[in-house]
Amino acid sequence: MSRMSNQFISFFKSHGKLSLVVIGVALLLEVISAVQYLYTRNIMRDELEDLMGKEITMKAMLVKGMLNYTEGVLNSHADAICDDLVQPDSIYDHLQWLTHVNKHFSGVGLAFVPGYYKDRDYLYEPWTYRDENMPDTVLYGQLGSAEHDYTKLDFYYQTVSKDAPYWAEPYLNYRGAKGLVTTYAIPIHDSKGKVACVAGVDLSLSWLSDTLNQRHSHESSFSLLLTENGELISQPSSSHPKYADFDNAIMLINDSTVSRHKTKSGHFTCIEFKSEIDGSTAYVYYAFMKGRPHWQLAIVCYDKEVFDALYSMRHRVFLLMLLGVALLGYIVYRFLKGNKQLADIEMERQRIDSELHVAKRIQSEMLPGEEMTQGGVTLSGRLIPAREVGGDQYDYFVRDDKLFFAIGDASGKGVPSALVMSVSHSLFRAIGARESHPARIMHLINEAVCQGNESNMFVTFFIGVLDLPTGKLRYCNAGHDTPLLVKGEVEKFPVKSNLPLGVMNDWFFEGEETTLEPGTTLLLYTDGLTEAMDAQHRQFGLERVCEVSKNHADAEPSRLLSDLIASVRAFVKGAEQSDDLTLLAVRYSPQEVHFELQETLTVQNDVKQVTLVNEFVKNVAQRTGYSPEQVSGIQLAIEEAVVNVMNYAYPEGETGEVEIQAAASADLLRFKVIDSGMPFAPTDAPDVDTSLSAEERQIGGLGIFLVRQMMDVINYERIDGKNVLTLTKKRNC
Amino acid sequence: MKTTIKENDGKLLVALVGELDTAAAAGVEQELQPLYENEDKDIVFDCEKLEYIASSGLRILLSILKKAKSHGHTVTLKSMNDDIKNVFKMTGFINLFNFE
Repeated sequence: MSRMSNQFISFFKSHGKLSLVVIGVALLLEVISAVQYLYTRNIMRDELEDLMGKEITMKAMLVKGMLNYTEGVLNSHADAICDDLVQPDSIYDHLQWLTHVNKHFSGVGLAFVPGYYKDRDYLYEPWTYRDENMPDTVLYGQLGSAEHDYTKLDFYYQTVSKDAPYWAEPYLNYRGAKGLVTTYAIPIHDSKGKVACVAGVDLSLSWLSDTLNQRHSHESSFSLLLTENGELISQPSSSHPKYADFDNAIMLINDSTVSRHKTKSGHFTCIEFKSEIDGSTAYVYYAFMKGRPHWQLAIVCYDKEVFDALYSMRHRVFLLMLLGVALLGYIVYRFLKGNKQLADIEMERQRIDSELHVAKRIQSEMLPGEEMTQGGVTLSGRLIPAREVGGDQYDYFVRDDKLFFAIGDASGKGVPSALVMSVSHSLFRAIGARESHPARIMHLINEAVCQGNESNMFVTFFIGVLDLPTGKLRYCNAGHDTPLLVKGEVEKFPVKSNLPLGVMNDWFFEGEETTLEPGTTLLLYTDGLTEAMDAQHRQFGLERVCEVSKNHADAEPSRLLSDLIASVRAFVKGAEQSDDLTLLAVRYSPQEVHFELQETLTVQNDVKQVTLVNEFVKNVAQRTGYSPEQVSGIQLAIEEAVVNVMNYAYPEGETGEVEIQAAASADLLRFKVIDSGMPFAPTDAPDVDTSLSAEERQIGGLGIFLVRQMMDVINYERIDGKNVLTLTKKRNC
Repeated sequence: MKTTIKENDGKLLVALVGELDTAAAAGVEQELQPLYENEDKDIVFDCEKLEYIASSGLRILLSILKKAKSHGHTVTLKSMNDDIKNVFKMTGFINLFNFE
């Protein structure tokens, strides 16, 4: 787990920017939630003030209702009491009854103006009151005495002096039932209109506590009733859980230095304070009651309880937020990790791409030029790989007045087939440098391709060797598509298919030969042409190839190929190329050469006769205007060629002839050395290494080397059972 | 084709006169037999009057050179004309012999 978190940390360290994003999102979420919290809290606070206001108003109405009732009862009995004045003995019954029927009255009585009744005590105060121990029993008695001078009491002299109803300040009851009482007093006038006495009702206040604290919006809230001066009238019962706070609340209300604020309505005041019990925040809301008595009603409520829902929501939101941020972090982590992998893959892909790009360049650099014209042959080649590198290849080169050309298609596509193709292609070049027979070249390539061919790749290959002077075409096909011969009509070029290269090590590749008529074009292609597919998987087909080729019977190979490619593109309509497309067109159209001089010398295969040959050659060369230096070189070349024939064409001891034909045109001097001996191609002899030391140098092999050095073009052909070696020296060289 | 062999200053001085073509080669090889048997002298060919040489001639010279070198001697070709020297250049023989 810690390893994982370490990984996480180091990961975020290395991806600072995104870590910042995650932190930023977390902060934003926090700010949003804080704003929402504060906003909600304010709303709740307003609602609380509203609620407290209502509750205070309601409870005030409850108190007021009782007080009003008390006033009403006494006021409505004022007249009856007035009537009673004349019969002082009936007063008790009346008062007793009033006390009896009004449960909250702890006593009702009259306090007479001193000396009102001559026959009664000077301070006469008949009073009925509830028995301390049996509240249902109403007692009565005359309370006035020198010790209890009621005239000095608030309720009496205030009422008398103002001649108006008066609510006395609450006080501890001293007559009857214990507890806090308040007295409502009204003046009673006699028939003359003079104040006779003060009628008072003692209203027990102890029940207020229960009534006021019976029910609150918040369970732990409690209510207080205070006098105008802030003295306690009603408090919660001592069993109330927040009982300990009530003193504190009273003190705060009475302490004018404590900061407080008015609620929005302006009718209520609020003080925030710390609970004595647990230090939590609490509020006391209070207001003065309207009218008399001008008491204060207060309700204490606790922050924890009021905002409980908000707090719990806040906690939940916070947890959810944490979860969200963690989830976001994880997503970012996975995303980046995925990105890293993607980036790695992308880098790898780019590396492969660039390598493939290089490979493609190498492959295209291995291709000879797309166009070539030389010695009566015009040639065009095209290669359009399906991927970066392809398994197709074409090649050609001219050696000793012979055009060597080849086309091949390695099985599969892409790099593997390109590699196999490169091998075949290189071998074609290397072997073709000293071997003029397509079948033998094919055989040697096949041996090499078969060796260690464990991936069973194979290559279809076609090799042609066209003798430029004669138009003789030798060719060998290794399973490649049948070429087409274009000469006005389009026909299949007859080939034996043999087997593709790389299939069977000891397969005997059968070569064939024909002679190309001047003006014919041989069209070679890979199956990328005939099997080019459109989006509906229809193939271009050989028929279309023939159709296009027919229209270009006399055209240049390059135009034929361009039109074929254009037709294929039009056919596939942008469908992805499925295979490499390779084309090679060879058009044979030799130019007639006019020879001004033609002479022939025939000698025996005896080196003694070389002198005759030398004289003949020197003579011809001199007559046709070659410089002495050139004459010497030509003489050497022909001598070497003739000696070669004399020494090797015929079996030892057998007499044979060697014919030397000389022909000269304006541009060149040409000698043909002809014998009817064994087929022997001196042009296929390996080159001499001229850099070796005397000890390493071989005695032989110099002859044909000198021929090549001295002459511009040499060409060997076996024609009608004879070896024909043609040696050409161009005049301007 | 004519050849003469003289001894001078402890060297074998060989004059080659005429065209050393293949027809002449067999005779020349015969005439130069003493050079093949030489074990104690450097060889100098005077090529001033050599007009032509074919590969058969080159072969003779190479054989003589190999023999001489095996005994620690040198073969020098003197006064050779440019046409013939060109043949030596082409064949790389110019690197094998001493030229004067």
